[in-house]
Amino acid sequence: MREMTFTEAAREGLAEEMARDPMIFVVGEGIGARGGNFNTTVGLYDLYGEWRLRDTPISENGFTGICTGAAMLGARPVVDFMFLDFELDALGGIINQMTRLRWMSNGQVKVPIVLRGGVGIASTGPHHSSNLFSLFMHLPGLRVVLPVFPADAKGLLKTSIRSDDPVIFLEHKKLMNLKGEVPEGEHLLPFGQASVVRPGKDLTIVAISFMVIETLKAANLLEKDGVSAEVIDPRTLAPLDIATILESVTKTHRLLIVDEDFSPSGAGAEIAAQLMEQGFYELDAPVRRLNGTFVPGPLSPPLEAAVVPNAQTIAKAAHDLLVE
Amino acid sequence: MSFEITLPRLGWDMVEGALASWLRQDGEFVRTGELLFSVEGDKAIQEIEALDSGYLRILPNGPQPGDKVPVGTLLGYLVPQEQLASFRFPGSDLPDSPKQATEAMKVVEPALVTSQEQAGAPSGDGRKRRIYISPYARRLAESLGVNWQMIEGSGRAGRIMAKDVEAIATLGELEAPIAAPISIWQPPPVQPVMPAPALQPATTAARAAMSPIRRKIAEHMAKSAHTTAPVTLTSEVDATELVSLRKTLKDDAASNGQAVPSYNDLLAKLSAQALLEHPLVNARIEGDEVVQLATVNIAIAVDTDRGLIVPVLRDVQTKTLRQLAQESAALIEKTRNGTVSYEELQGATFTITNLGMFEIDAFTPIIDLPQCAIVGAGRIVPKQVVVDVGTGRVEIRQMMVLSLTFDHRLIDGAQAARFLQRVKKFVENPYLWLVG
Repeated sequence: MREMTFTEAAREGLAEEMARDPMIFVVGEGIGARGGNFNTTVGLYDLYGEWRLRDTPISENGFTGICTGAAMLGARPVVDFMFLDFELDALGGIINQMTRLRWMSNGQVKVPIVLRGGVGIASTGPHHSSNLFSLFMHLPGLRVVLPVFPADAKGLLKTSIRSDDPVIFLEHKKLMNLKGEVPEGEHLLPFGQASVVRPGKDLTIVAISFMVIETLKAANLLEKDGVSAEVIDPRTLAPLDIATILESVTKTHRLLIVDEDFSPSGAGAEIAAQLMEQGFYELDAPVRRLNGTFVPGPLSPPLEAAVVPNAQTIAKAAHDLLVE
Repeated sequence: MSFEITLPRLGWDMVEGALASWLRQDGEFVRTGELLFSVEGDKAIQEIEALDSGYLRILPNGPQPGDKVPVGTLLGYLVPQEQLASFRFPGSDLPDSPKQATEAMKVVEPALVTSQEQAGAPSGDGRKRRIYISPYARRLAESLGVNWQMIEGSGRAGRIMAKDVEAIATLGELEAPIAAPISIWQPPPVQPVMPAPALQPATTAARAAMSPIRRKIAEHMAKSAHTTAPVTLTSEVDATELVSLRKTLKDDAASNGQAVPSYNDLLAKLSAQALLEHPLVNARIEGDEVVQLATVNIAIAVDTDRGLIVPVLRDVQTKTLRQLAQESAALIEKTRNGTVSYEELQGATFTITNLGMFEIDAFTPIIDLPQCAIVGAGRIVPKQVVVDVGTGRVEIRQMMVLSLTFDHRLIDGAQAARFLQRVKKFVENPYLWLVG
């Protein structure tokens, strides 16, 4: 199978969908002729022009609201925020209108819309490093999608575009150049299916977004110490596939959750709570979380390195959990 | 199902209101939308429609018209026709299902209490020690039939983990690893003076993990051996009178079908009297203090298939021999068949161990911490004894050796000897302790 980067794979998914359905269009800053700050739309402007690749001024609230209206009328907009942080300016309309219209209209109005943006700490400072996963998990009607591998980026973006509900599609900036095999043509991944990216038997590590990559490295370190870690990538946080996590914990009886995003009320808190509710009697030790430090992403590289979990700190947390 | 009728909220800020009146009679059939009752809110009286259809059953002990009650208070039920016959107000003591439900709950409750109780085994000072065990390990232990209270956990702060349970469960399998090292006091390593001769290693016949109870015994005995200052005194006593006393009691008990006091029961009773007279022996060390105990609880060493178990006869000083005989027979039976409770093994102040049935004369028992002393009874055997030195008269008497091990940390040799002498006197003259 061919290898391509995460961004190339997502772009191929977008291109395939745009070719299939003329109601799909993209809006965002610099996504037209420039091809997107993160190359999310490179080449598409030449194919579809500004009618379907619409550059916008810096007015997130305005163009997001327009897209909500367009989606209500049958279009399938993709709003490319570049950085997730920029989406915050449009949050009022997203929460109050976009995610609620389907409920408020008793299902008569659908808002099929994809919000995408880069997340994560990647030498990007406090204004461009947000993750905010649990903020979006907390909105009924919104799907929260975080692919890690290129094939998943393609498969999940295609599913996101076809979703009749709004989807937030979060791309970690450190994953964008990650290479991997990607299936050609129709490749659709359903929401709510976690992926066991590495089987193991001593403990389960659920890792979110880029932390999957660091956790796989940690699992190699652990293997040298005779510890077999099972690594799970949830792929979507809403819906959350707790069944796969529970099945794994039923085997390993220990759970570590690694998330670059903050611990308080975070995705890990939700996973831990659900696991406790459904799998309490499978637990041989308290569920443990390893999170990014509860501070805005620092600009200084040494500080940045200190606040984000890495393979060594993950392996250490796993060892601690095993002797708990 | 029956539909609940509750006091509705008439305005968004209404928190309580009063039932003004029922507009329908108890037992009447009411259709959805018909007016059912009226409510007196803060500002007005409002008539309320039925939201469902059914026979109106007004809660007998519910709010009366005019009573102010919180919004949501249950007023009654609308019961569908097909359920009218079986309908009962919750909590009513009418026969049928509600009562059975209550009974079922009564059965469940003690089981829960028991499991809570089991979570805390008494520690050395008699206080409950909390045992920590993971939910999974506990479920695993229950499914494998492992008594997790006997396990020493290898997790943080001694928490029991699944692997500890699994290790215990592999009992009996050869080469099974021991879950956690036994906390036996180890002497410092001694350098061998001469190199050890190269011997053929002994062939192993069998190797098995220690059973939980064996581990417990091992720990306990080793702790006693290494922390007490044990001294054993032996004294040969003339048990002829005791033997004849027992025979009398036996004949009497047999005639009215009651439990026959064993020699252990007799020894327990007379030791209790001696202990009351020598309270220093009925004592234990707690920290830096010596605590004398007001009651005499005597443990009886029982040999079982699983190992040595020592159930406790309580308040021996206040019990009659007949009570003791019944209690000890029941206790020993429970101990042998494994149904003895944790509590029944706790709280002894003195121990009696008897090896007479194995034709043992004297031995050196090990003190069962935190007690001060233990007495070992040897066999009762007829011997020629000089009963009158002046005339040189020799008689055949029933003789027995008592072996008293005491903890020299608590008492001195003379105190222990006086106590043993008193026991000897009681054995030889049972009337003395029968009068108390």
